[in-house]
Amino acid sequence: MKKLLVVGLVGLAMVACTKKEGQEGAVIKIGAAGQLTGPEAVFGSDMLNGVKLAVEEWNAKGGVLGKKIELVPGDDQAEPRQAVAVANKFVTEGVVGVVGHFNSSCSIPASEVYHKAGIPQISQACTNPKLTDQGFDNVFRVCGLDDQQGKAAADFAVQKLKVKRVAIIHDKTTYGQGFAEEFKKNLGTGVEVVAFEGIAKGEKDYSPVVTKIKSANPDLVFFGGIFTEGGLLIRQYKAVGGTAPFIGGDGIMSEELLKIGGPATEGTYATFGPDTKEIPSAKGFNENYRKKYGEPGVYSVYAYDAANIILQSIQKAGAADGKKITPEIRAIDYNGALGHIQFDAKGDVKESPYVVWKVENNKFKQVK
Amino acid sequence: MFLQHLLNGITIGGSYALIALGYTLVYGVLKLINFAHGEIYMIGAYLGFILISLLPAMPPFLQGSLPLFLLVVFGIAAMICSLYGFYLEKICYRPLRGAPKLTPLISALGASIFLQNFVMISMGAKDRIFPQTIGMRAISLGGVSFTPLQLTIIFSSIALMALLYWFINRTRLGTAIRATSTDPFMAALVGINVDTVISVTFMAGSFLAACAGVMIGLYYGSINFTLGYLGGIKAFTAAVLGGIGNVPGAMVGGFLLGIIEALGAGYFSSEYKDVYAFFILIAVLVFRPAGLLGKRSDERA
Repeated sequence: MKKLLVVGLVGLAMVACTKKEGQEGAVIKIGAAGQLTGPEAVFGSDMLNGVKLAVEEWNAKGGVLGKKIELVPGDDQAEPRQAVAVANKFVTEGVVGVVGHFNSSCSIPASEVYHKAGIPQISQACTNPKLTDQGFDNVFRVCGLDDQQGKAAADFAVQKLKVKRVAIIHDKTTYGQGFAEEFKKNLGTGVEVVAFEGIAKGEKDYSPVVTKIKSANPDLVFFGGIFTEGGLLIRQYKAVGGTAPFIGGDGIMSEELLKIGGPATEGTYATFGPDTKEIPSAKGFNENYRKKYGEPGVYSVYAYDAANIILQSIQKAGAADGKKITPEIRAIDYNGALGHIQFDAKGDVKESPYVVWKVENNKFKQVK
Repeated sequence: MFLQHLLNGITIGGSYALIALGYTLVYGVLKLINFAHGEIYMIGAYLGFILISLLPAMPPFLQGSLPLFLLVVFGIAAMICSLYGFYLEKICYRPLRGAPKLTPLISALGASIFLQNFVMISMGAKDRIFPQTIGMRAISLGGVSFTPLQLTIIFSSIALMALLYWFINRTRLGTAIRATSTDPFMAALVGINVDTVISVTFMAGSFLAACAGVMIGLYYGSINFTLGYLGGIKAFTAAVLGGIGNVPGAMVGGFLLGIIEALGAGYFSSEYKDVYAFFILIAVLVFRPAGLLGKRSDERA
């Protein structure tokens, strides 16, 4: 009996300790979650560096609420299961706000964990509408949505490229398939969809699907997915003699696409936000980022702004408590590197302009 | 379009066959499935990547002649992988010879995880992109498009298989391998050094797997450390399909698997590409448990 009591007391003491550490530690913890390893790791490191820059700038000014900010990275390996594990780890570590995740298929299951724990989450890159359709008050995003992106891509295809026959490929993920369906929906009646194919992520051989696409003879091939598969598809499509250009979304907007696909990627289109290297508000960000981490990735600035929004909201809330921070984020009127950001009732940005980019001379350039 | 799919299938099938031969050879002499074999193939792809990236640093006579340079790349990668195969057997399987059957199998899985993580740590978790050296420009002939690279791959995989066939059937060492695979005990009695034969078998299998790795790297252009997993499983399927332990069976199984995948994905849906391959495997196992060319034996799993 005595033994049992001792065990019980020790247990209680441990619970008390972890609780104290979590809520009233000497630092305020911010989580940054994404694919830090694996084939898409470049998106993860772009994000992490963006958040790091924001945290370093705040710490240099004395932190937030008089405390230093600690950045806790979480590697979800672009896997939904791993994303939930990362989310649970953040909760037990007492993280007060999260930037991430990158993939919609990761963000959606993870957001449930954050919702239960009352931790605000701002995704820098998830474009699938479902994320904010869940009705969670603590979930936000600073990027656009696939219904807007799908429409932008479809409008460009119909109005500018004047295509008649379109082939659609997607990677069967929440993001890829969702984006592909939005694109298809917005094409209108004048365009014939000659193929609608799903591919397996992580595979290397896409020769059967590109052969099939080629024989359907499209004017344009749409791809909903990430650059790893996108690069291989474009390359293999050109190798079987295909000639139609590809169009994709934010998932293929990476220098890595050009490396994987090689010269075959020339003339490929992608929908994305406007060029942040040109907008004046991002000038300071670009300079500071370059000094520390080299050329910013396309999503670095989004992650940087997401981190700043969380930190500013903690300051305003006056407490490192997720439940108090969330309403501050919702009400924020933020002017950052991306320009002006305000959230609507669902947690989406109020204005999100998509533009089309094109690969010219082995570089992505905004189509004017 | 049928011919195009067939050509695609043969290209990938050739590499399946080359890897499958390694499984089958080792199974022949040791009755062991070497599950680390896929990783040797992956390491071959990485060696190919490293060597091809070194092209600008090569002596001018190699830079001038692409076929010669590729031959050197294949040769060096295959040689180094043979050493990997040699030490793999020496470290992970030889001490366990005579142990219960499950033990070397677990050791094989351990070796596979070790090699995968070793490459991940030393080469990074990112995809590695091959420099695009050989012609990727498509040539069209009667409605079928192919690249010079594709032809190179098909011909070199057939040449390598012919080489192996000659080695197994026409050389003393090959005869020793066949003798050991029929009955290791009797082979030892007539004076065959069984240890040497087993080492040679591992080296030959690794040699072929390395060549397949370099080919696949060149063909797809991007590789990563998880490449060996799916490649290994597919090739193992091909070996079982043809009848494990049977050399021509592995070749037939490899090509067949590649063609089935290409046609299935091309004519039905590419979403289920892997389903066709494994469906055929199940069907073969149900109706012909020893594989297409295999003979019935109690030893077979």
